[in-house]
Amino acid sequence: MRGCVLLPLCFIGLVPIACTPKNRETRQDHPLPAGIDTARTEPGRRGGVFIDSAPGEPSTFNPLVSEDATSSGFIGLFLDSLVRNNAVTQEVEPGLATHWDIAPDNKTFTFHLRPGVLWSDGHPFSADDVVFTFQAIYDSRYPNRAAFDLSVDGKKFTIEKIDDLTVRLTTPEIYAPFLETVGGVGLLPKHELESAFRDGSLLKAWNVSVAQKEPRRLLATGAFRLRSYQPAERIVFEANPHYWRADTQGVRLPYVDYLVTKLVKDANASTLAFATGQTDAEGLSPDNVAWIDRYASRYGFSVFNRGPSPNTGFIWFNQNPGHDSSGKPFVPPHKLAWFTDRRFRQAISYGIDRDGLVRGVLFGRGQPLWGPETPANKKWYNPNVTQYPYNPARSRALLAEAGFTIGSDQKLRDRAGNVVEFTLNTNQENQLRANMATAFKENMRDLGITVNLSFLDFGTLVGKIQDSYDYEAGMLGLTGGGDPAGGISVFSSKGRLHQWYPNQKTPATSWEARIDQLMSDQLHTLDYPTRKKYFDEVQKIMSDETPYIYLVTANAYVGLKDRWKNIRIPPLGSLVWNLDELWTPLLAP
Amino acid sequence: MAADLLRTLLRRPAGLISATLLCLLYGMALFAPFLSPTIPSAQNLQRTYHPPTALVWQKGHLCVQLYQLIDPSTASYQALPGQATPLSWFSRGTPYKIFGLIPGDRHLLTVSTPDPVYLLGSDATGRDVFTRLLYGAGISLSIGLIGVALTSFLGLTIGGLAGYLGGWTDTLAMRLTEFLMAVPGLYLLLALRAALSSRFPSDATFLLIVVILSALGWAGTARVVRGLVLSLRERPFILASNILGQRPWTILFRHLLPNTFSYLIVAATLSVPGYILGEAALSFLGLGIQEPASSWGLMLGQAQDIKIFMLNFWWLLTPGVAIILTVIAFNLLGDALRDAVDPRFRLPGK
Amino acid sequence: MTSFILRRLAALLPMLLAVTLLVFALMSLAPGDFLTPVKAQRDINPALIAELQKSFGLDRPWYQQYALWLGNVLHLDFGYSWTYKVPVAQLIAQRAPATILLSITSLLLAWILAIPLAVLAAARPGGWIDRLTSAAAYLALAIPEFFLALLAVWMAARTGWFPIGGLTSLDYDFLSPSSQFLDIAYHLILPTLVLGLGGVAGTLRVLRANVLDVLQAEYITAARAKGLTERVVLFRHVLRNALNPLLSTIGYAFAGLLSGSLLVENVMNYPGLGRLVYEAFIREDQFVVLGSVVVGCSLLIVGNLISDLALAWSDPRVRYGR
Repeated sequence: MRGCVLLPLCFIGLVPIACTPKNRETRQDHPLPAGIDTARTEPGRRGGVFIDSAPGEPSTFNPLVSEDATSSGFIGLFLDSLVRNNAVTQEVEPGLATHWDIAPDNKTFTFHLRPGVLWSDGHPFSADDVVFTFQAIYDSRYPNRAAFDLSVDGKKFTIEKIDDLTVRLTTPEIYAPFLETVGGVGLLPKHELESAFRDGSLLKAWNVSVAQKEPRRLLATGAFRLRSYQPAERIVFEANPHYWRADTQGVRLPYVDYLVTKLVKDANASTLAFATGQTDAEGLSPDNVAWIDRYASRYGFSVFNRGPSPNTGFIWFNQNPGHDSSGKPFVPPHKLAWFTDRRFRQAISYGIDRDGLVRGVLFGRGQPLWGPETPANKKWYNPNVTQYPYNPARSRALLAEAGFTIGSDQKLRDRAGNVVEFTLNTNQENQLRANMATAFKENMRDLGITVNLSFLDFGTLVGKIQDSYDYEAGMLGLTGGGDPAGGISVFSSKGRLHQWYPNQKTPATSWEARIDQLMSDQLHTLDYPTRKKYFDEVQKIMSDETPYIYLVTANAYVGLKDRWKNIRIPPLGSLVWNLDELWTPLLAP
Repeated sequence: MAADLLRTLLRRPAGLISATLLCLLYGMALFAPFLSPTIPSAQNLQRTYHPPTALVWQKGHLCVQLYQLIDPSTASYQALPGQATPLSWFSRGTPYKIFGLIPGDRHLLTVSTPDPVYLLGSDATGRDVFTRLLYGAGISLSIGLIGVALTSFLGLTIGGLAGYLGGWTDTLAMRLTEFLMAVPGLYLLLALRAALSSRFPSDATFLLIVVILSALGWAGTARVVRGLVLSLRERPFILASNILGQRPWTILFRHLLPNTFSYLIVAATLSVPGYILGEAALSFLGLGIQEPASSWGLMLGQAQDIKIFMLNFWWLLTPGVAIILTVIAFNLLGDALRDAVDPRFRLPGK
Repeated sequence: MTSFILRRLAALLPMLLAVTLLVFALMSLAPGDFLTPVKAQRDINPALIAELQKSFGLDRPWYQQYALWLGNVLHLDFGYSWTYKVPVAQLIAQRAPATILLSITSLLLAWILAIPLAVLAAARPGGWIDRLTSAAAYLALAIPEFFLALLAVWMAARTGWFPIGGLTSLDYDFLSPSSQFLDIAYHLILPTLVLGLGGVAGTLRVLRANVLDVLQAEYITAARAKGLTERVVLFRHVLRNALNPLLSTIGYAFAGLLSGSLLVENVMNYPGLGRLVYEAFIREDQFVVLGSVVVGCSLLIVGNLISDLALAWSDPRVRYGR
């Protein structure tokens, strides 16, 4: 029968799948700029493709619009800033500015720009671009997150162009994290985006539609520029022919020809893709590390244990007393009364078996978390925060003190007789979080509290938390680490990420007011011990008042293929932070 | 007639086996609280992904082997040689209520110490898989029965009317059933779920699933009944009743439809697997039964984690085996019934 | 022949309309309108939202909305996906071919395996081939598709012989065209097996019954009396006639395949229409759900049409009959 013959033929042809890549153009070579930055690493060889995977879609390629880590990650690949953060030394290094003068008042910074740098379309980079970027950020027509970060007590910085290669930035008050924050501002090309700025359509520029149809319009100063973007499939970056860094031999960086990011939503699929050698780097969850290790020698990769991760996991209650456009309150008033009572939150915190979560869900590779910073953030972590070790008896005592009683049906009721019950929302893509939610639910049942679990898609969840406020309790995590200023929108009562009650006009409680004060104070001094003292107090207040009931933090594991050289593992942040310096002697992917 | 049918059925080996199997399954589902050592939500974070506990014979009793965790990073447990805790039969444990009405607190198997007895291992938060399997059986099996009862009723009425009245009713009904049978079921299920989920409170998901599945399932039964009624309509005894002056409704309900019952039972039995599979698929996708209730589809949905494959936690796939067994049992029973009733009876779309 | 095609189309188009109407009505029952989540996004141009509202008539009663939506669909404007930020038509055009490919390969597999097995089984009813294939078919029909998909992924993960999902490898962009073809074929193996297995079982049972019926026909006895070999009798006469009812079930088979592919695509990470529908459903991206269902049902209609055509080609009685 003819049918039976066809099938075996297919199998035979499958063997030579890995073949030499075609469809690759040779890289253009342009003369190096006058202000070329020389990388002090071992010189390598050009060529190779770096393949990794991302779990989400970028929602935009416009830095003014991006609010999520995925989009910002991609934007950071092609847009550079005045300064760079060296993840290993944790120091600020020259970026598009070669050096800067700080006036004695610590408020005026004069940046000298790198001469000869060109955008990826060949147009020269100059101070006009820097001025334009800040203009766009501060323009009230284009509300964006950077405007909040780049202001002190609501007052903007001033920027002036001294000449084509010099800009001066002045802060209204001393702003401690100035250099790091400025380092995060991707500079926009004036010649490309000015017309959009003028006619009011700047926020629509560089959206995913443009990225798909005309990727070359996303001009780059970074190591890479966008080559193609297929939604739900892959994003391909190629080496920027005008990049401003070269190695000690005068070879322009990056060494890698292409950077391919596969968009794989399913965590299982991307983990397995790495374990079977299809991707070059992957963040690994602690429960998978043991079996992935078994494949390490076969597929030529190594797994790095980077100690506690800087990511936090927590549960919080919606304490927003407002109501939606139809007059319905976001949270039913009787529940709001529970959520805003500190004793209720603390009782719940005592009722969570964190050691059980670490052992059972994280397979022992993690530790309980008590405050907003994890031990990974060595510079700023405060180990002396209030802890809530598992103690259901203490929970019950606190609840009784707050006026709750247990009925004969083993259910907890408040003073008015309402049964204590709430819905916990979390995102369904994260299996570990789902398991923790289930475990939490059981812990709460022991206290007589009924928790209904609701698993939502991440985008929908974020919409509820940040836009419609239509939820009772949530469980999520935040990526932490770094300077406290990075957390202002979380800690400040006016912040967008102050999740339990964002965008407050005036602080709702005295402790939130105190946190506002402390965060402001720590911004205005450059003295590290003083800043540390203030931020320690912020951490202590957060752990006392528990607006976020912190759960556990997992250890951070990263897998990386052995074939990549020039890896310099930083204490915090991405393992491949210096992607432009990485090279491989093996050219086949 | 029913007694005849039963006797013919049980005389065949296939009929006997499937009937026994089904009785067993339903019995286990009914008495799940008694048969299971614990409750489905009892978690144990110190013993997540625990393999099935071996049963050993020690000191004259059946005992449960004790284990210790040797490698937390891979959840490997090793048996402690010689250490086992005795199994008690019919002793008191967590209280429960059968059907929510009859209280009791005796369990078939328990252990007196806090050590767990995991007949089929434990899941991601240390819950007993065997217990969840039994309780899940209750959900999956009862959805099958209730759904089939609903659709039989719907199909009988609509199919009977279509076949008997003919003309416009018939054409309309047939177009409708053709339409329902020809569209991709799962797509419609999703759309129905989107539409109806806001109208049902979250703990009535069970009811919601049944309603959705029935809304799509009556088409097959209706066609069968219509076909039967059409052929029966021309039989002499119906023509005789007509001549005798009996009213059409009497003819329909007293003569025609009762003659379809045996065929209906066959069709119903053969369509139960569709319900069980439909509910399992919905729960698997996270759109059906939700926590805290356990259902076979939900348990399989939670077993999609890659580490479960790589670290070989095979016991988490047992709900799939349960589904397969149940479906085979119903199919066998249906085929045996059909052979007993009329071997040439064919169902549409199969 | 053309008049036959036109007649069939005339019968099938109302069905398409009915499906779209049903799904539209159901989606309208869900709370909020199609643009509720869109309005919450910050970077979607308000002008675009206003334009969508106007062209889909979201402030009008639902039957008017349906008419407007239908009109737009006829211009291939399925609306806008707020999660991917592209027109829905573009998304569907990207995903539908993958599902069509999978359905076709599954159907082919089902037939290639089922036809010879059914004929051999029916030729000796009660023989060992018959018993074995019947038992296997029984088992195959009892296994839920998603469970089978799960087992397939498990097997692929443990042995590494097959990819665990997706349609293309990560370095697909850099492969030569022939390697790309083989890459896709390699990724299709497991999903096809999973989807096709149920099809094999179902087809086997129906075909076996049909063949048994045909074998008792008089013209078969005549053929044997003529002295034709058993093989010629079986494959030229019996099969030809037994296949007819099977051809008419391609339409139903397609329905089952589309339903099944929703589950299989999700478990095996296959980027097709089923995956798109499910993800859009979870994220309440209504235009995408609606568009995908319509396209899915249209594929079904096309499948039905093809099966009718095949039947008409194979059986002249149908061509000229009713």
